[in-house]
Amino acid sequence: MRFLFCIFLFIYFLSTQLAFSSLDREIEIYKNIRCLVCQGQSLNDSNSDFANDLKKIIKTKLDNNETDKQIYKYLVERYGDWILFDPPIKTKTMFLWLIPLLTLIIGFYILRKKISFSKD
Amino acid sequence: MKNQIKIVILGLLVSIFIFIFYFGLGSNTKNNPQVMVFKKLPAIELRSLYDNNIKISLPRLNQEKFYIINIWASWCTPCRDEHPLLMKLGIEKKIKIFGINYKDNQASARSFLKDLGNPFYYVGIDPDGTNSIELGAYGVPETYIIDSKGIIVLKHVGPLNNDVYKKILTKIE
Repeated sequence: MRFLFCIFLFIYFLSTQLAFSSLDREIEIYKNIRCLVCQGQSLNDSNSDFANDLKKIIKTKLDNNETDKQIYKYLVERYGDWILFDPPIKTKTMFLWLIPLLTLIIGFYILRKKISFSKD
Repeated sequence: MKNQIKIVILGLLVSIFIFIFYFGLGSNTKNNPQVMVFKKLPAIELRSLYDNNIKISLPRLNQEKFYIINIWASWCTPCRDEHPLLMKLGIEKKIKIFGINYKDNQASARSFLKDLGNPFYYVGIDPDGTNSIELGAYGVPETYIIDSKGIIVLKHVGPLNNDVYKKILTKIE
């Protein structure tokens, strides 16, 4: 009897964990997607028709075991990169990612020069 | 000589930054509703507004040179405003228009068309809005022109007006 009870508890624990993790994943995706008809809101924050339609589609895709990447690709194909809060690295956005790095390298170079100059 | 090289490098860097900002700030990196233009129309299946047992699949390939898809709803006031232009396109110009009735009460949609006239070749229903999302729609009304290969050649977000009407005719004729 005690054994059966333990098994029941284990299954219950496992099912709640699975349910929580899939819900977390769903919410995480909603937070990464911009509601295009709202002012600066994510799908997670919005209750507009557009946001609700997208949530329905995302939910179906998650139920069909599609990956996050596949879901984002589907949305970008229809609405462009702007629908994502994180801009992807592409040739067009490369400078956006490279400029801080370049500035840092140039800054370090100037700093090194200054230090060696003051040492001399 | 060394200083001259430094000045040239600095000048080059500044020019690159100005170039990036000039074009970056000028281009629309924000919302672009035209993303779907020149892409293939995604496959969708619509049940008829008049008989839910009848289904039609889009895109229709090599049937018409061009046809129109219009997303509308009876509760949408701008749809009422653009309706006379749809009547002109569908009835006067005899262009096939496939209507997608978005999240609507079917009886209200039928009565809307009875009162204002039916410009549509076929009216399919999209009760939960998911078919419209497949097309990359933002809401109602929205109009698309599709060519015989199933490519979206024009997309208009919002109600049709005389300028868009002329643009559609130029594209089609």
